[in-house]
Amino acid sequence: MITAGIDAGAATTKAVLMRDREIVGYRISGTAFDFLTSAEKIYDELLLASDIDRNDVEKVYATGYGRNSISFADRGISEITAHAKGVYFLFPEVRGIIDVGGQDSKIIVVADGNVTDFLMNDKCAAGTGKFLEYTAKALEVPIDDLGTLALASSHPAGITSMCTVFAESEVISLRARGIAKEDIAAGLIAGVAKRIMVMAKRMALTDHIAFVGGVAKNAGMKVAFEKELGVTLFVPFEPQITGALGAAISAHG
Amino acid sequence: MQPPLKSLDYFQKSYDIRVGQLKEKRARGTKIIATFCLFVPDEIIFAAGAGRLVLCGGRTDTIARAEQSLPRNICPLIKSSFGAVVDACCGGNLSCAHVQLVDVVVAEATCDGKKKMYELLPEYLPTYVLDLPQKPGSPEAITYFLSELRKFGKYLEDLTGNAINEEQLKKEINSSNETRRLLHRLFDMRRCDPPPITGSEVLQVMQKQFFLSPDQFREGIRQLCEEMEHRIPPARSGPRIMISGCPMSAGNTKISDIVEKKGAVIVVEESCTGTRSFWDLVEEDKEPWTALAERYLRIPCACMTPNDQRISHIVDLARRYHVDGVVYYTLQFCHGYNIERIRVQKALKKEKIPLLAIESDYGDSDVEQIGIRIDAFLEMVS
Ligand code: SF4
Ligand code: SF4
Repeated sequence: MITAGIDAGAATTKAVLMRDREIVGYRISGTAFDFLTSAEKIYDELLLASDIDRNDVEKVYATGYGRNSISFADRGISEITAHAKGVYFLFPEVRGIIDVGGQDSKIIVVADGNVTDFLMNDKCAAGTGKFLEYTAKALEVPIDDLGTLALASSHPAGITSMCTVFAESEVISLRARGIAKEDIAAGLIAGVAKRIMVMAKRMALTDHIAFVGGVAKNAGMKVAFEKELGVTLFVPFEPQITGALGAAISAHG
Repeated sequence: MQPPLKSLDYFQKSYDIRVGQLKEKRARGTKIIATFCLFVPDEIIFAAGAGRLVLCGGRTDTIARAEQSLPRNICPLIKSSFGAVVDACCGGNLSCAHVQLVDVVVAEATCDGKKKMYELLPEYLPTYVLDLPQKPGSPEAITYFLSELRKFGKYLEDLTGNAINEEQLKKEINSSNETRRLLHRLFDMRRCDPPPITGSEVLQVMQKQFFLSPDQFREGIRQLCEEMEHRIPPARSGPRIMISGCPMSAGNTKISDIVEKKGAVIVVEESCTGTRSFWDLVEEDKEPWTALAERYLRIPCACMTPNDQRISHIVDLARRYHVDGVVYYTLQFCHGYNIERIRVQKALKKEKIPLLAIESDYGDSDVEQIGIRIDAFLEMVS
């Protein structure tokens, strides 16, 4: 049986194709114009690259913020459920999930792939990828290099503001005082890590924790989390696709 | 879909009639009292021959008016209520006729935000404040509240020129209890699976309770109960949800609407627009003032401490209504209900009943974000 999962996120769209519960292929791309056009585009590309005919796909499930716009999907499921299913497929032993995306961050507590509790932050940019994106700009460092840069720091700068706007001006004044870029980068990452850790501790996560979402690609972030939690995190080979993967698995039934 | 309940029309019609009735009453010299909280006993007001309107604000359009003087970071209910008063008294045209219909405000010493807002009211309307003990469990608390109620009675007697006699007070207790019994009958039917009425429908009715005359309201509930007994339950198989937390005053139906639009059915509301307004009856064969003091101090509001009675009440309701999950609703900046969530959540966890905490205001900007959480929560409890 062939199924597909589409994760229509606010910043990126992801698609995963599965055949008999095996991943056939996946695609990630920025969400442009509207959810449906972006999804159609990468879904077609993925089908072509995997040499699968659209008609042979038995079921398509959508998830993510824009899931209701994906008219070609048979059903929509919430991203919380989708991440839980996707992570369970990759790491069945996982008890908790930290998902830090571009627009929001979530903590999900799971038992055998089922959600038992969750906490979301999506009202403000603090503790999300947006925070890192804006402050990296103030630091004049490409966002993808921020993590590696931070790893080189021996004296992380203290960043006290978690509000994106204030943190930006803090970065500027730290730079004016001649603080090394790597120390500022490390300070920014430590700040986000602390913020998310508060959420994780509130949900009583202790061990067997997966780290997913776009920000999980950030090496410095993973190190900062592991330091705070004192455990090694499970990070998927492609941390952005667990939602789409979970949707494709759910479509399998 | 079920055809809409006919008795809901009755509530709407009575509402229209009520405005005219109140105007007439006032013209004949009856004093109309505005309250903002369940802790002010209706029975005493009615026994003094006065009328009452509960003016808790649920509308969003009066908030900007309030923010011209009040700080922004206080609960929207306080801002909306204050804005309505200021607007009405300063010749504005935002608020409906309600504020113009009242003679005095009877406020109460509950949460900090309200208390301090009430201190600003005398500039617009005469305001009387009923004090409350905050540790409701002790005999001293009852004694103190009893003295406060008697003082309040005296105030009303002076205001209206009518003496409150014990017989009249007992009569008012009996009729208020009658309303409470009818509401129990209505809520009891919601224990069925699926229930014959939705939470959004019940909320509409409960919000009217604060505006209609007691006779109109009782008649409406009576009709509603009868109609429901013959209504085939709506074809809803969604998860059974309890709402618990802050009041949803008229104009504010946001959370109930989202929860039911997402496919769940609300089977009970632990709030001032739900069980908190009618759950306990006043003992009828006791000395009436004492019976009132005891009953009203049992209202499980988060301004009381420690609020054990609320925690156990919520657990009882969850069992009684066979709920699959609890949506805990706090108005933004309501610290009492927000912090008390921790104890509620702990108690429900022991019962293996999941809780979703939602904090919101009266605006629409977070409807999508709340929807995302509700979706995930309903998938989790299904
Ligand atoms: S929540 Fe408490 S203070 Fe507010 S109206 Fe209800 S009983 Fe009164
Ligand atoms: S909702 Fe909370 S903050 Fe607002 S008036 Fe009621 S108790 Fe006070």
